[in-house]
Amino acid sequence: MKPLKIGITGVRGIVGETFTPELAVGFAQAFGTYLDGGRILICRDTRPSGPMIRSAVIAGLLSAGCDVVDLGVCPTPSMQLAVKWLEADGAIAITAGHNPWRWNALKFVRGDGLYLNSTQAEELLDIFHQGEFAKATWDTIKQVINYENPIGEHIKVLQGAFAVEAIRSRGLVVAVDCCNGACSMLSPLWLESLGCTVLAVNNDPTAAFPHQPEPRPETMAQLCAVVKAGHADVGFAHDADGERLGIVTELGEPFSEEMTLALASDIRLREQSGTVVTNISTTSAIERIAARYAGSVVRTRVGQAYISEGMIEHNGVLGGEGSGGITVPEVHLTHDSAAAIGLLLERLARTREPVSELVKQLPQLTIVKHNIAVEPNRLYSVLQDFRTAVEQERLVYDSLDGLKVTLPNGWIHVRASNTESMIRIIAEAEDAQDARHLLDWVRDRLSR
Amino acid sequence: MRAIPTLKISISGVRGVIGESLTPGLLTRFAQAFGTYISSGTVVIGRDPRTSGEMVKQAVIAGILSSGSRVLDIGMCPVPNIQLVVRQRRAHGGIAITASHNPADWNALKFIGPGGLFLNSGQAGEMLDIYHQGEYTKVSGAEIRTVEEVAGATDLHIRAILDALGPLPKTSKRLRVVLDACNGAGSLVGPQLLESLGAEIISINVTPDGSFPRPAEPLAENLGDLCVAVKEHGADIGFAQDMDADRLAVVSEQGVPIGEDYTLVLAAIYVLGREPGPVVANLSTTSALADVAKKFDCPIFLTKIGEVNVTEEMQKQNAVIGGEGNGGVIYPRINFARDSLVGMALILHLLARQSQSVTELLNDFPHYYMVKEKLICPSDKLTVVSKMLREAYAGYPTDTRDGTKVTLPNGWFLVRGSNTEPVIRVVGEAKTEGEAREIVARVRGKVEACVH
Repeated sequence: MKPLKIGITGVRGIVGETFTPELAVGFAQAFGTYLDGGRILICRDTRPSGPMIRSAVIAGLLSAGCDVVDLGVCPTPSMQLAVKWLEADGAIAITAGHNPWRWNALKFVRGDGLYLNSTQAEELLDIFHQGEFAKATWDTIKQVINYENPIGEHIKVLQGAFAVEAIRSRGLVVAVDCCNGACSMLSPLWLESLGCTVLAVNNDPTAAFPHQPEPRPETMAQLCAVVKAGHADVGFAHDADGERLGIVTELGEPFSEEMTLALASDIRLREQSGTVVTNISTTSAIERIAARYAGSVVRTRVGQAYISEGMIEHNGVLGGEGSGGITVPEVHLTHDSAAAIGLLLERLARTREPVSELVKQLPQLTIVKHNIAVEPNRLYSVLQDFRTAVEQERLVYDSLDGLKVTLPNGWIHVRASNTESMIRIIAEAEDAQDARHLLDWVRDRLSR
Repeated sequence: MRAIPTLKISISGVRGVIGESLTPGLLTRFAQAFGTYISSGTVVIGRDPRTSGEMVKQAVIAGILSSGSRVLDIGMCPVPNIQLVVRQRRAHGGIAITASHNPADWNALKFIGPGGLFLNSGQAGEMLDIYHQGEYTKVSGAEIRTVEEVAGATDLHIRAILDALGPLPKTSKRLRVVLDACNGAGSLVGPQLLESLGAEIISINVTPDGSFPRPAEPLAENLGDLCVAVKEHGADIGFAQDMDADRLAVVSEQGVPIGEDYTLVLAAIYVLGREPGPVVANLSTTSALADVAKKFDCPIFLTKIGEVNVTEEMQKQNAVIGGEGNGGVIYPRINFARDSLVGMALILHLLARQSQSVTELLNDFPHYYMVKEKLICPSDKLTVVSKMLREAYAGYPTDTRDGTKVTLPNGWFLVRGSNTEPVIRVVGEAKTEGEAREIVARVRGKVEACVH
């Protein structure tokens, strides 16, 4: 079976295999039907299949009676902000985020600029499956217009949320790897507007992804080299569409994408205590950090829509996930790597400490992650078997999302990925060896 | 009894109603089928001004890109323009997004092969097989090619005509022409072409915004405004186009439509007078064309209805001029396609050189009167009708290559189903109106009795 993932994050698959133009047309028709026509924005990342999917999406939306505004290549968070000031009823981002270049996906955004929640995603899927779509007639069908400047407007909002003057006066040297993705259009400009000397690599939106578009230490080698050679104060790594952020210290050391939120939480809570919203699969360092500042932590299911909902429900002062996605509410209630950059640079501007020192002050835990590819039709039976094994050992577990088990020296979390056909395992403990043992503990109990 | 469907899939392509049968999923799949059929290559895409044109075009682009081909998007332009570009750019094929003279709520795809001709029935059949099987070439992201937006395609069209025919010879008085482009694709080219030729033009309905100022089919009954304008301005001639500018209708200096068939007759008088050679038309064309061919001692060949049938025969016979009785003029020296722009240029050259009016030119040949009617007819009744006619007219010369054509002592008639609408057409011709109407009325009566 070839991979095709349809779920709360939208629809995603491999172009040339399961992600066909008629699938994209159908989903666009379903979305246009769901939103009763209206104005829909679209944007895309730099994947080579982007223009093909874009045409399919435009055809589907127009046929359902929508008027379409095409923002072209731009980060998803830029489009999510544009939804509000362009008074759109919804938006579709044509991007598979951190998935490799063969993939593409549609992510559905509603009129408040947030992703559809799980109920709404199901309603959309019901419409898609039923196949009865709104159909504009020749005299009600609308047209497409191209909108030029979502990036400029995004930068304006970012500038309003951070101490720009303080950052400018520090004259920081910042290295950035845009992965030749949509952030190539935004990140260097944003950093320049903050008075930084920008050492940009892989910022050519017409070139192929130089590496997997997922900011993890394994993909940040080139960025680390640039930081060292350029004596940068910090290095930032982007995914393909601007949601996740990876960080490299001034010593040229990458740190785990898990720690992006830990660092952001420390920075935010020391200035403004309150609730941090994250998912159940993210490091427990967040609780330890919150404890320092009398803050609190709310844990949700994995997926950006849940973080946004949690932020609204609990008045979160910060949100984020162990994937490296950070939500800064002054900018927007969704992940925005540019906002995360603003938060971090603001901190650097106010302290004499370098990034490596800030990182040392964080609780030092070890997270290990392991993914196991599983045939799509076996994903849930594998999880079910694991649950049975856990129950047989009379262990307490949290089944909010997959299975999380707290063990004497740490915790483990096992779940099916939202975005690929695999089982994700995360284990965390104080030290690396314990973490690896926990991982083994899980793998021993997972049937194949 | 089932309702008559509003989706027509045939060798002419796929045609349907927006908001009903012509959905983006269907269009994308057809485009994928076409892309798969031509293997990887370059496809030229153009459209008429219909409001649904953008939606249809995007659906088609998605399908073509997904199958690994490259797109040359030449924007809004006449269909013959697309055919010309396919040939000039040595593309592997083309797709015209237009429903010709169908009402505003229709749109359609017409598929063009590598030579710039529409797919013939064999080729269209092969493509349809691919469509029905549903297994399309699907390339990975890295192999997806680009869409190139090509500007100035209409200028190319005008240049090709002027290069071949030159501007109109200088006469003491410039020819005054009224053009009714039906707000179609011709709006973008016609006025400019006529000016470049050196005519004086009055244009009506040249706003290609998707609105239909009149029914698009350039039949006499739809040309009222044009006729009035010709008389009002004292023009030498009036021209009317349909939405995609392939067909041409002519109004005389008296403000009288000369009849769709006579467009080709006038063009043939000009061409055969200068470069005699074979003439090709279809079974539904006026006998007047045969009279013209005879005058210039040229052979004439009649084919099944349909541009591709005429063009294939034209290639076979090395014809110098051809076309169809619906106002389609094909002049291979410029473009192997029904081309209203070429038609206008040829006819104006004729007028300029002969110093005769349109009426005088036509009076040089015998007059015929043609009556064309159509009735709603479900497609499953067509064979019953043709059988009935063969039996009813058993004693007369009958040609059944395309519908049923019967030659009578005082004229002829042709009965056939349509590729483009769920109707049956009855055409009859005789030397007088009375006789033509009588022929058609009698045949129509028989057909109606058979259908109901």
